[in-house]
Amino acid sequence: MSISRREFLKRTTIATGALTLLSSTKLKGLQKRNYPKGWKGRMRVQEIPSICEMCFWRCGILGNVDKHGKLLKIEGNPAHPLTHGRLCARGNSGHKLAYDPDRLKYPLMRVGKRGEGKFKRVSWGEALDFLTDKLKEIKEKYGPEAVGFFPHGIQARFFEHLMKAYGTPNIVEPAFAQCRGSRDVGYRLTFGNSVGSPEPLDFENTKLMVFIGTHVGENVFTGQNLAFAQALERGAKLIVVDPRFSVAAAKANYWLPIKPGTDIALLLAWMHVLIYENLYDKNYIRKYAIGFNELKRHVKKTTPLWASKITGLPANLITETARLMGKLAPEVGLHPGRHTAWYGNDTQRARAMAILTALLGSYGHPGGIYLSSNIPAPHFPSPEYPKPAARADGAGDIYPFGSRGLGITNGLVDATFSEKPYPIKAWIVYSQNVLQSIPNPWKTKEAINKLDLFVVVDVLPMEQFLYADLVLPEATYLERYDDLYTVRNAKKPFAAIRQPIIDPLYESKPGWWIARETAKRLGLEDYFEWDSIEDYLNFRLSGLGVTLKKIQTKGIVEYDEGKPFFDFSNPIEFKTPSGKIELYSQLLKDYGFDPLPVYAPVEEVPKGYFRLLYGRAPVHSFARTQNNEILHGYMPENQLWINKQIAEKLGLSDGEYVRLENQDGILSDEIRLFITPGIHPESVFMVHGFDQKSPYLELAYRKGASDTYLMSRVEIDPLSGSTGMRVNFVRIIKNGEPVMVSGGVSVISEFKKTRSDARPKKHIIVPRIHQESEASDEGC
Amino acid sequence: MSRYAMVIDLRKCVGCDACTVACRTEWDVPIGHGRTWVEQYNTVGEFPNVTSTPWVAQCNHCDDPACIEPCPTGATFQLVNGIVKVDTDLCIGCGICVEACPYDARYINPDTNKVDKCDFCEARLKENLQPACVATCTTNAKYFGDLEDPNSHVYKLVYEQGAWRNENDNASIGPNVYYLGTEEQLKIVREKFGPRKSRLAEPAKVWKNILKPVVFTAIGATFAGQAVAFFNQLRKGEEPIDD
Repeated sequence: MSISRREFLKRTTIATGALTLLSSTKLKGLQKRNYPKGWKGRMRVQEIPSICEMCFWRCGILGNVDKHGKLLKIEGNPAHPLTHGRLCARGNSGHKLAYDPDRLKYPLMRVGKRGEGKFKRVSWGEALDFLTDKLKEIKEKYGPEAVGFFPHGIQARFFEHLMKAYGTPNIVEPAFAQCRGSRDVGYRLTFGNSVGSPEPLDFENTKLMVFIGTHVGENVFTGQNLAFAQALERGAKLIVVDPRFSVAAAKANYWLPIKPGTDIALLLAWMHVLIYENLYDKNYIRKYAIGFNELKRHVKKTTPLWASKITGLPANLITETARLMGKLAPEVGLHPGRHTAWYGNDTQRARAMAILTALLGSYGHPGGIYLSSNIPAPHFPSPEYPKPAARADGAGDIYPFGSRGLGITNGLVDATFSEKPYPIKAWIVYSQNVLQSIPNPWKTKEAINKLDLFVVVDVLPMEQFLYADLVLPEATYLERYDDLYTVRNAKKPFAAIRQPIIDPLYESKPGWWIARETAKRLGLEDYFEWDSIEDYLNFRLSGLGVTLKKIQTKGIVEYDEGKPFFDFSNPIEFKTPSGKIELYSQLLKDYGFDPLPVYAPVEEVPKGYFRLLYGRAPVHSFARTQNNEILHGYMPENQLWINKQIAEKLGLSDGEYVRLENQDGILSDEIRLFITPGIHPESVFMVHGFDQKSPYLELAYRKGASDTYLMSRVEIDPLSGSTGMRVNFVRIIKNGEPVMVSGGVSVISEFKKTRSDARPKKHIIVPRIHQESEASDEGC
Repeated sequence: MSRYAMVIDLRKCVGCDACTVACRTEWDVPIGHGRTWVEQYNTVGEFPNVTSTPWVAQCNHCDDPACIEPCPTGATFQLVNGIVKVDTDLCIGCGICVEACPYDARYINPDTNKVDKCDFCEARLKENLQPACVATCTTNAKYFGDLEDPNSHVYKLVYEQGAWRNENDNASIGPNVYYLGTEEQLKIVREKFGPRKSRLAEPAKVWKNILKPVVFTAIGATFAGQAVAFFNQLRKGEEPIDD
């Protein structure tokens, strides 16, 4: 074990000492008073600050530890500049991840067939020897580019560094193509900068918040929740565009229940009103933007009346909301969205949102979108990476604006599957869940079957683990140091440390240890020249003028020199080709794309079907937390939201279990109906991440239905390569028969009684009908 | 003197359950039960003319609690600061108070077979900490404080902003958890979450004729158990405070 208990205690003694001083009022006198049984506070002897990893937002936490070193509970860290000591349901449940009995405990090597889940326990030495022998062999035979690396989060940074040193260009994260990639490309094309994370919205000063599909409150980032609620309290207005009556929609002054897939039409109509009613920020546009005249001509005919027929929204509502934006500009916080991989037109939708933001003059202005700042946290010196071969995932060529930094997961799956442009022989999946995050898992499984080596580094035995040749158990975020977490998207940028709150359980190891030990065996130890992880972190913190020891008691170091807003008294240089905000993008034109966003209809929902929408719930993250004892207690399974009037017509009742069959004949597991008036009749909605298919997840196994497994097709965004996933249609199956409004039976008479995990051989073409834009009897 | 109260701003609340999880981990509340609970979606109306509100509830620490009188052992009592507490040493888990509370704020903890409920995190208050749910609330929608202190935030919310008490014809016993919400929100709350009628139709009668003998036997047993425990403790010395 790298950090023994003794060592760890020694290391944190100073931290504890200082902490006790700092919070002496909290801990003093605990031994004297008679506290109620069962209260955690009476057993708490230490509060160790760190950062959460129950989701990707990484809020500040304080681990409350008892005298035996056991983690009692987790609280928010009051020193965190964005969350101020508050913490969401998932963060509060983090200790149940560390103490999950289903955790991966030891390195494992496969003995059965892929998918069987038969393993033998091996030592770390054996495991790493096996891994490095294989990696050497592949490098020799096929070159280092034959290894694909699938990381997620700051915990994977050390291994990513190793993979770059090894020489592969094929590093891919779902954060791009399955999440916010298209958004970042769209904003970068317009402003020269992507939005980044957390979304830099100045809700503290905003007068109007505009959400398009964004479901703050259900998609919880504590800091954003807090800023959102405080803005509401201050009296800021709210416009929510969402086919679902989300929690945010319930708080909105205007809810626009848009027909799914028609957002660009609405955005163009809003621009029309702003421009033709002279409500846009003329000074801002004249000084900082190019292409206004082209835009003005482009939106001449996209009137609210035109958009009304497409979106199903009343024209006066479109006009009224546009006027409100114009009135309250530039203090308008138009949320760029988070997960934007919807319809395959996503970069252009992001462009439309960015252009609208520019028309309101709110980019770089208080109350709008603030700018990210740099943090001087130098990287530890290491040799240069070898020059890698061309990427296999299509980032930068097939998908010209695909990120070379984050890569395109689905592009690499395709390359592995087709062995083009060259064969991919190994995947190392690190803190990712490739079968739940990347759509069309059948294809992913076929790609996995082509590999010589499939390695999974994880905390829990997710479904992908069943297919792995080698499984390496990583310590949880509560048990390890990770790379420094620098937050550039804060008005006052800061860095936060993750440090061990408890010792790693079982034989799990921190990521930095796994990467360094692997590097040693590959002869790449020059890339990891630090003596200890503390040494490494101290180097990175040196740029901020602090030491690890100094910030261990607080967990955070703020950097005062952030510049969140433009200095409008001086010229502003945007990092676009023209140096200005590009309303009209010559770059897009040069690549053969629309230089201004154009509305094109998405495929209509076939008769008898619904559009499958998905999203987040505040008590779960991705497909990651379903096995957490507490969170499972809150939401053991997901539910299918269906419109009340439609459900009544179909004779469905609230709480009953049904199955879903998608357009390709793929059947889901059973899911409970949640009948509500708060959803567009054309669509159904479920929370992502359920129906876990690993039997080693005792709580989560086969509960609810998986949206990913119903995504047998995607619309790929040609600009970014991101996978539009809201293009799948489902119908409701009850007692083996599809539910139709007439009570009739579908043309497909035979239904699979049990779900087959095999990829469908035959693509069933579903007849399409043209539907009127006014939603009347969709889905039945 | 203090009079503790809580104000929940439903206009800010998003129903994210951070509060209920924080409470659960603070007090080891078993899954399936809660000292506080949240209902995130309460949508009414017809698409697209709908309204909704999240709902958060817990023990109301009422001015005139319905749970104290029916308790056969005196385990439930009220402090001068208004906090209604359960003495788990006296509680026999009979569940009468669970039936009596019009807000369903009490449950019998299956781990201990005693009644449990919110006590405004009294133990945390002694440490100058906010109740766990208030401290963690991701939207700062929960406020705790002293209604007898005119400078407190809750005083202002209750007496100046007119925070609302969840009372109706079934129960009007002065709950000290107040709510702020839009008219639409409070309408939903009144319809869906108003207090219910007490299930103890004639508590006194039940007490006299049926429960008294049972209860006294139980009290006897409790005392015997206590005595054994006490002597054991004497034998072993002082019980350490942390386990």
